[in-house]
Order: sequence, then C-alpha cells, then structure tokens
Amino acid sequence: MVNITINGKLVQAYEGEMLLAAIRRENIDIPALCHHEAVEPYGACRLCMVEITKNEWDGWKNHVTSCLYPVEEGLIVNTHTPTVIELRKTILDLFLASSPHSTVIKKLAAEYGITRTSYEEVPDSTDCILCGLCTRICDKMGFSAISAVGRGHGKEIAPPLKEPPPDCVGCLSCAYICPTHYIQFTDNGKERTIWGKKFKLLRCEKTGLPTITEEFAAYLIKHREIPEDYFKINDLSHRRELALKMGQITQWGREA
Amino acid sequence: MKARLIVNPNLCTGCRTCELACSFTHMVGGKPGLSRIYPLDGGFKDLYVPVVCLQCEDPACAKSCLVDAITRNPETGAMVLDEQKCVRCMACVAACPFGCSLFDRINNLVVKCDLCDGDPACAHFCPTKALEYKPIEEHILKSTG
Ligand code: SF4
Ligand code: SF4
Ligand code: SF4
Ligand code: FES
Repeated sequence: MVNITINGKLVQAYEGEMLLAAIRRENIDIPALCHHEAVEPYGACRLCMVEITKNEWDGWKNHVTSCLYPVEEGLIVNTHTPTVIELRKTILDLFLASSPHSTVIKKLAAEYGITRTSYEEVPDSTDCILCGLCTRICDKMGFSAISAVGRGHGKEIAPPLKEPPPDCVGCLSCAYICPTHYIQFTDNGKERTIWGKKFKLLRCEKTGLPTITEEFAAYLIKHREIPEDYFKINDLSHRRELALKMGQITQWGREA
Repeated sequence: MKARLIVNPNLCTGCRTCELACSFTHMVGGKPGLSRIYPLDGGFKDLYVPVVCLQCEDPACAKSCLVDAITRNPETGAMVLDEQKCVRCMACVAACPFGCSLFDRINNLVVKCDLCDGDPACAHFCPTKALEYKPIEEHILKSTG
C-alpha cells in the first residue's frame, strides 16, 4: 500500500494504480472523458488534471493527468484548486468550440460555469472529441476495425477507406464506450447497422429473440473456443433447459 | 476449507424469496437490481429448480469476454464481473450455456452471481434450505472440480 493525501485526507492506494483510481474511490468527482477501465490510460482529454506536490518538494507543484500518473508514497493531491479549475475550464471551452452541439460537453461545461465558448465554433463540427476510446476498445477486443484518419483539423474516426469495415463484428462496444454518444447505430431486433455495415442477429431457436451478431458469435467460436451449440438459444432458454434437466435428475431421485 | 452454494431442488417450493434477497443485495442507485437467481419450473408437478451461476471450472463467460472483465475471486471461487470494465458487448450473455450471465435492461448493466463476496443472501433467506452455503473439504473439491 502507498500513502497519499487527497484534498487533505490521508488515504491508502494500491501499488501501481493511477491517481484517478484512488481519487474515484474517495467519491471525488473529476471529469475523465477519455478514460475507461477496459483500456490502457491514454491522456487525450486532459480533463482529469490535478495538482500534485510533496512535502519535500519545497512548495514546488505540478499539474498532471491523473489517469496517467501512478501513485507515489507521500504524494499530496488536490483536485479542485483554483488553477486546476481554470485549466479544466479552458479545456472545456475548447471542447465547446469543437463540439458545440454535444449534450455531454455542454452539460460538463455548464457545471464549470461555461455556457458559450469564447473561441470560434468549428464549422462542420461533430460530437467526436477524438479521445480514441472507440479505436482503443476495438483494438483491445482484437478487431481493429476502425482508426483515426487524417491529421489536425480534418482528423476523424472512420473505417478504412470510409467503407463498411471488413473486420467489424458489430459488437457495439465502440458505441457504448464513446463518451459523447457520437457513434450511431441502428438495431431493429433482426438487423443491426454500425459504421455503414449491416449485420444479421442470431436468434434463439426457442423464443425467436435476438442475441449477438452472427459475425461476433463466429469470432467467439473460432478464437475463444466457445462451442457452437451454446449460441443456438438465448439466456432465458438456457436457464429453462437447465431447470428441466435438473428437474429430471431430481425426479429420478424421488422415484427411486 | 472452501464453501459452495448447494442447490437442492427437492426442497424448493418456488416461493422466489431468493430472487428478492438477490435483488435487494445488489442495489443500483438505491433501487433493487436484477436478480441473479431464478426458481424455474422443473418439468414435474411441484418441482422447482433454483437456477443460478455454477461458477464453472472452465467458464464460457470469462472465455468470451474480450476485455477480461470476468475473473475468478480466489477467496470465494466466484466468477466476478467488473462493471467498470464491461463494455456491454453481450458476448458472455450469449455464451453462458446456463444463461446465468444476464443483461439488466433497466440499469444497462451486465450482471452475474458473485456469491455475495462469500455470504450469499439467497442461501440466508431460503426458508426451506433448498439453497445452502456449505464448507466443502478440499479433497472433495479436487475430485469434483
Ligand atoms: S462494433 Fe465494430 S468497430 Fe465497433 S468495437 Fe465492435 S468490431 Fe470494433
Ligand atoms: S456465468 Fe455461466 S459460464 Fe460463467 S461461471 Fe456462471 S454458469 Fe459458468
Ligand atoms: S458484456 Fe461485458 S463482461 Fe460480458 S463479455 Fe462483454 S465486456 Fe465482457
Ligand atoms: S481521462 Fe485523463 S486525460 Fe482524459
């Protein structure tokens, strides 16, 4: 265990964890838009910035992204100093210029007292803040179907050649993880569309209810050695079957 | 000595107390969560089977999870799902052959039995002892897996 101080309170943190994890355990609310537990920290949004110092640093202070900074013995962390709040405001002000219509950004900015950007709004803006969570989760899952294309102003997240991505299995993890809900998809219970690619959903042989996409199941069968049979029925039908099987065994016991 | 959640359908009356106990133990934002256990029709008169995660030796849920959100708690032996890591891809829900990885639509969470960290509420409240949490000798665990 490592001893650190967060906003004046002495707390214990786990060796090797990042400051953000310790801060969140204390139920202190700081924005961290590009962070998710399923992927490695990345430090793209800069919103999780905090002030750090140590007694032996002679009053010297530093500002770091807490999602990327490992805990250290004796660290003194402050999450809401006037400077930290100012830094966060500047970042939100910029996000508000590049994604002026994002409800998530608008709400967060409003929490920090900003309702209008002091910069010029970007023409043709989107709600994508280029945090890279979608590409990182897709890479982590082993599909790498999408990536950041272009540079600077024209940078955007897209499948290769902006065509329906061949490697996408339609798992929707990217849409789930996107902090601004920018990634759109449709799902009518029969068919799913994401990134312009259409997928057929598997259906339970007993109830007809949809489960995951055929492509996703095929991937799990091939690369994760899940028996093909498991995907024939849905969870409800699996539970019912288990109850009937166990019921039969119990009944044999009663008759014997 | 480790413990196991033992299910005895002979004693189950289908009263669904376990469901309630589970929901109220797994609260989400002050409201009862989705139950991880269901007493279901066993196919014969007055026969109910409480269906709950078997904490498999070779769990399909963990194998299908591409972000390693489901891992075994070495203390309790339970396969535990980390909500903070889960990206709601539904692989585990589709893959579990017993239908015991569940999607809680209301709270947008994927959930499964975690044996309540070694003190299962369902077993506590089951009025007929159809569910019991019992210590098991190490050598029996070894021979049965
Ligand atoms: S839906 Fe497609 S692009 Fe999105 S994470 Fe899954 S495989 Fe990748
Ligand atoms: S959720 Fe299903 S696959 Fe996973 S341990 Fe429980 S019964 Fe086994
Ligand atoms: S739904 Fe969550 S826990 Fe289940 S396989 Fe997907 S990421 Fe893993
Ligand atoms: S969460 Fe730390 S930089 Fe985005």
